[in-house]
Amino acid sequence: MSGVLVVLEQRAGQWNRMSWEALAAGQQLAAETNQPLMAAVVGDGVDALKGELGQKKLARGYAVEHALVKEYTADGYTAALEQLVKKIAPDFVVFPHTYQVRDFAPKLATRFGQGLIADVISFHVDGGKPVFVRQLLQGKLNADYRQTASGPCFVSIQAGAFRADALEAGSTEVEVFAPQIDAAQIRNKPGELFRESAQTVDLSAAPIIVSVGRGIKEKENIGIAEELAQALGAELAASRPICDNGWLPMERQVGSSGQTVSPKLYVAVGISGAIQHLVGMKGSKAIVAINKDENAPIFEVADYGIVGDLFEVVPALTKAIKEAKGI
Amino acid sequence: MFHLAGLSRLSIASLAIGYAEPVGFSRWEIVLFLVLALASLSAFFARFSKVLVRIFESKKDPDFRLSPIARRVWDFVWEVMCQAKVIKERPLPGLAHAFVFWGFCAFALVTLNHFATGVGFPFLRSRTWVGGFYFWFAAAFAVLTAVSIAALFVRRLFVRPIWLGQKVSYESLFIAFLILALMVTYLGAFYVGASPGTIKALWWAHTLALLIFLPLIPHTKHLHLVLSPVTVFLKREGFSRIPPLAGDEDFGMVTGRDLTQIAALQAYSCVECGRCTEHCPAANTGKVLNPKEVILGLRGYLNELGPKSEEPLIGKHESLEALFQCTTCGSCEYQCPVGIQHLPMIIGMRRGAVNTGVWEDDYGTKLFLALEKNGNALGLSSSERDKFIAKQQFPIFDGTQEYCLWLGCMGGYDPQGREIIASFARVMEYLGTTYGVMKKEKCTGDPARRLGNDLVFQTLVEENLRNFEQNKVKRIVSICPHCVRTMAEDWKEYGVAPEIEHHSEFMARHQSRLPNKDTGETIVYHDPCYLGRYRGVYDQPRQVLALSGTVIDPPRARERSFCCGAGGGLAFLGEEQGERVSHNRAKELVETGAQVVGVACPFCNTMFRDALGATSEAPPKLLDIAQITALQLPQKVAARADG
Amino acid sequence: MKIIVAIKQVPSRDANVKVNAAGKWIEEQDLNYEINEPDAYALEEALQLKEKHGGEVVALCAGPDRVSQTIREALAKGADRAIHIEADDLNALDTLGVAKMLAAAVKAENADLILTGLQSDDLGLGQTGVVMAELLGIPHGTIIMQVEKSDGGIRVKRELEDGWFQHVEMPLPALLTIQSGISKLRYATLMGIKKAKTKEVKRIAASELGGLAEKAVSLDKVYMPHKQKQTQMIGGSPAEAAKTLVEKLKFEVRVI
Repeated sequence: MSGVLVVLEQRAGQWNRMSWEALAAGQQLAAETNQPLMAAVVGDGVDALKGELGQKKLARGYAVEHALVKEYTADGYTAALEQLVKKIAPDFVVFPHTYQVRDFAPKLATRFGQGLIADVISFHVDGGKPVFVRQLLQGKLNADYRQTASGPCFVSIQAGAFRADALEAGSTEVEVFAPQIDAAQIRNKPGELFRESAQTVDLSAAPIIVSVGRGIKEKENIGIAEELAQALGAELAASRPICDNGWLPMERQVGSSGQTVSPKLYVAVGISGAIQHLVGMKGSKAIVAINKDENAPIFEVADYGIVGDLFEVVPALTKAIKEAKGI
Repeated sequence: MFHLAGLSRLSIASLAIGYAEPVGFSRWEIVLFLVLALASLSAFFARFSKVLVRIFESKKDPDFRLSPIARRVWDFVWEVMCQAKVIKERPLPGLAHAFVFWGFCAFALVTLNHFATGVGFPFLRSRTWVGGFYFWFAAAFAVLTAVSIAALFVRRLFVRPIWLGQKVSYESLFIAFLILALMVTYLGAFYVGASPGTIKALWWAHTLALLIFLPLIPHTKHLHLVLSPVTVFLKREGFSRIPPLAGDEDFGMVTGRDLTQIAALQAYSCVECGRCTEHCPAANTGKVLNPKEVILGLRGYLNELGPKSEEPLIGKHESLEALFQCTTCGSCEYQCPVGIQHLPMIIGMRRGAVNTGVWEDDYGTKLFLALEKNGNALGLSSSERDKFIAKQQFPIFDGTQEYCLWLGCMGGYDPQGREIIASFARVMEYLGTTYGVMKKEKCTGDPARRLGNDLVFQTLVEENLRNFEQNKVKRIVSICPHCVRTMAEDWKEYGVAPEIEHHSEFMARHQSRLPNKDTGETIVYHDPCYLGRYRGVYDQPRQVLALSGTVIDPPRARERSFCCGAGGGLAFLGEEQGERVSHNRAKELVETGAQVVGVACPFCNTMFRDALGATSEAPPKLLDIAQITALQLPQKVAARADG
Repeated sequence: MKIIVAIKQVPSRDANVKVNAAGKWIEEQDLNYEINEPDAYALEEALQLKEKHGGEVVALCAGPDRVSQTIREALAKGADRAIHIEADDLNALDTLGVAKMLAAAVKAENADLILTGLQSDDLGLGQTGVVMAELLGIPHGTIIMQVEKSDGGIRVKRELEDGWFQHVEMPLPALLTIQSGISKLRYATLMGIKKAKTKEVKRIAASELGGLAEKAVSLDKVYMPHKQKQTQMIGGSPAEAAKTLVEKLKFEVRVI
C-alpha cells in the first residue's frame, strides 16, 4: 500500500481551519509523489463532518468513530489512529501542526518507530523522496529534513504555510473505521474546555496588540486605535506617556516599567520607540509601525512600516481589515 | 611673683575681674564629690563599655585600619577640628554647632581643673598669668557656646526642621539645657562681688551639671561626642566603597554576624541630625526609605540582639522595601558630618537579600536574567549593537587606536544614548583622536553591583576583563558616569582595571581646540551623581558647556545635586511610590528658565526625556554635553556619522 | 514528590548564527549557550512543586562538556542533584534516539513526575517529552500552564488554541511539557552557586544507554532563509498602504 493520509482535526463537530491547510499540503504531496490522497477525521457522531469531507477530491475518506474518541485524549487518539495507519499503511501521514497534534502525534509516530517531522513550512521532492523544510532557532535558519527509516512518514504542517483555497472539490466515499479501544487504555480524564474570565488585562497572553503612543495627541483620539484593535481582535496597549496621562489604565502599559509582551503581531501607532518601550515589545513576532516621523527608532525594529499621518492611516487600515474579514 | 600674687588678691577682693575659684572644701564635701563623680563615671562606663564591646565583637573588617594616615589626619583636621562639613552644608546651625564644639574643646582644661579643685589640687589659678588668660579665653567660648546652644535649643523646640524627626527630642533639649547651665555656672564665677558662698554654690552647680551630663553621653545620640572623631578618622577608604565578600560564607549583610566593626562604629556614631534624609531623593519624594532610619535600625539591632545574632537584619529593624528604593546617589554619605558611610551598608544589605534570594521583585529578576542572558541591562540582543556599529561605521578597537570608545548599554542600545555616542565620536574625529569600539561588550555590572547581585557582577566583570586583555585595551573613554565609576573603582576587586575617563574630562582637556561660539543660550547643567559626588568631576563639564553658551546652576548643584532617579539599578525597576524623583528634579531644572538642559549621563538623559515633557508645557531642550559640542562642529565633520 | 526535569542547553537566543562548513549545523565557536527557555520554566515549576509538596528535584541534561554550565545553574537555582548524559553530538541522534537515551537514564529513578519544556529553542520539534512518556509507558500532558496535586494523581491545566484551556486529570507517574512564561523565573544567586558545588552530578556515557540507534529522520542541511528581517516600508496613499498591509498581515504574518 501507499498513499498520503491527512488526519483532519475537529472539536465538538467543528473543523479546525488548519485542517484544510494540512489537506492542501497533503494534496500537493500526493500529486508530487504520485500517490492517492486520503483523509481521516476522528470522533464520534461526526456525520455532518463526513458530509463535508465527502465534497473534497480524495481517493478515500475515513471517519474513525468510537465512543472513546468523542472527547480528545492522547491515549484514545493514538490507539485509534495506530489501527487506521496499520490498516491502510500509507507512506505519509500528514497533520496540521495544532496543539492537539503536538499532544499525540509524537506518541503515534513512536509506535511505528518513527519521528514526527513537525511544523513543516514547505517541501520539495528530490530523487522521488520528499524533503521537508522546517525552521530552526526561532526562524533564524531553515533546515531540510528527510525520512531515513522505512514505514509511514509522519509530518505536521505549520499554520498558514499552505493555502486552503487551493483545495480541489470532488465527491468522495467516506468509510467508517471502528477501532478497538478499551476504556482502561485511557489514563487521562479530560475536563470541560473553558476560557479565562477577563478580569485583568493580561497583555502577555494577547496574540495581537495595538499600542498607542504620544502621537495620538489627545485622549479623545484613542477611539481610532480602539476601533483598529476591535477589527483585529487585538488588545489595546500604550506606551508610558499615555498611561502617565491617565488616558489608559497603567495595566495596559508596555515597556520596561509595564508589561513585557510577545504577541504574533504588534501594531505601534504613533509610538516613536524609546528604549523603555522597545524592551517591552521587542519579542513580538511581527511589528507594524505607523508614525509620521520617518526617523523614529520604532522603524528600526518594525517589520512593516508606514510613514504617514496616523489619523489617516489608522482608519483606512481598520476599514481594509474589516473588508478582508468580511465584517 | 609677689607682685602678681598681690594683684590677684586685689582682684578677688575688690574688682573680681577674673574667674573666682572656690575655696575651703570640707572633708565631707570632698567625699560627696568623689562619690558623685564615681557614680557618674560608673554610669558612663556601664553603658559605654557595652557599646565598645559590641563594636569590637563585630566582624573584623580589613578596611578598619590606619592607612593612609595622611588622608585620615587631613579629614580629621578638616571635618572634626575645623567642623568644615558641618558648617558648609548647614551654615547657621553648623556654625552654632561649631562654637559648641570649640567651646567643649576649650573647656576640656577648665573641666579637668574644675574636678581637680574638688579634690583640692587645682592646677589652673586665675592669679597666674596662664590661668588668668585661660579662664578668660574659656569665658569667651562660654559666651559663644551659651548663645549657640540657646539658638539650637530654640531651633529644636520652636523652628523644628522636619529632618530632626517628627517628635521634639526632650532628651536633646535637656542636654542643651545642661550645656547652657554649664556655661552660665562658669560665667557666673566672673560675677563682680560674688560671695565665696555663691562661688562654691556655682562650683557645685557646675559639677552636678557635668556629672549628670557625663552618663547621658553614651545613653543618647551625644555618644557622637566621643565616637564621631574616631569614626571620621577611621572611615572606609573611598566613596561608596563596596568591600569584597570574604570567603564562601559571606553573602553580604544578612545577619548581625555580617555587621563589621566599621558598620557598628558608624551605627553608634549617628547624631540623628537628618542631613542624610534632608538630601535623600527617596525621602524627598514620599518613599519609605529614610537613610537615617537605616542607620538607626542597625544601631537598634546591635542594642537589642548584638553582633553575634543570627536574626536577619531585614525584618524588624530594616525594611526590604526601603533598601531597594535607594538610587545610590550618595548624598547621604556625602552629607554625613560624623563619617557614616551609608552606601556600603545599604548595598551590603541589598547584597545579603539578593545573594541569598530573599529579594523577589519582578523587575529586578527580569534585569538579572537579562544581564545573565544578554549581557546588557536592557535585555536586547547583542546583534542590535552590531547593527548600530555597522550603521555608524565605527572602527573596531584593535589595540592600535589611542582610545577605546566604550558604548555601554545606553550608548549601544538606547536611541538617545546612540545619538550621544555618535556626537562624541564626531568630536573625537574633529580633534583627530583615533578610537575604536569594542567588537563585543558586556554591561560593566553597575546595576548588578548596586542592587547587590555579586554573581552577575562578577561574571560580567570577568568576561569584560578577559575581552580587554585579548584586545589590549589600555585607555577607555565613556559617555556614562556609571560605566566610568564601575570600571575605575569596582572592577579593582577582580583585576587591573584599565584607565578610563568620562567624555567630559576628555573634552575639557581639549577645550582649547574645540570651537568656541556663544549661541546666546543659557544652559542649566545637571550634575550626575556618579560624575560629581562619586568622581569629583564638577568643573570639566561646565567648562565644555561654557564654549557654547552661558552655564547656570540649578538651586541644588554640584555636591548637593539632586538625583534623576535612575541610579542604583532603579532605572530598571518598576513604578515608583510617591512622586517620581525625575519629575522633582525636572521641575527644578525647568524653573531656572534655561533654554537648554545640559546633561552628562545617558541615564539622566533618559529619565529627563519623559520627566521634562510631563512637567512642562514647553520644556527646554535636553542635550548631552557631547551633543552640544558636536552642534558647534563644522558641517563636514558632523556629516560623517550620518551617512 | 520526586521530580525529574529534563533540560536542554541551546544556543542563546540572541546568537548570531552562521552555517558551518559542512552545512549540517551552525558554527559552534564563539557561540553562547543557555538553558532552553521552556525548560527553565519546567525547572521553575518543579522547584515550586517541591517547595509546596516536598520531595526532590533532579535535573537531567544530555550533551557535551559545555552543558555542565547549564546543569550548575539548575543546581544553583535549587535542583537537588543532576544527571549528565555525556553525549558529544546530540545532532547525531534524532528525537526518538534522544528520547530513548533520556528514558533509559531515568527509568531506574522511578520518579513521580517528569517535567520538560514544551519545545526546544533550537530544533523546535516539540516532541521529546511526549516520546519519552510513550517509551516509559506513562501518561502525559502537553503545553501545561498549571500543576496541582489531586487524589491519586495530578490535575493540570492545558493550554489550547484561541484562549481556551482545559483541566485534565491523570495518575502518577506522569510526564508534562511545560509552557513558557507560566510563572516568574528565579535568578541564580551567589548562595545557590556555592551550594551547587557540593551537589551530586551523576555522569553517564551515552553509549551506556543504548548508544546510537539508526535514525528514523535525518537533518540533511541547514541554510539561511531567503528573507532576512528587514523593515518593509509601505508607501502610497493611506488607503493603498492599508490594503498592502492587510495583504501582508494575511499571508506573511498570518493573523487575519
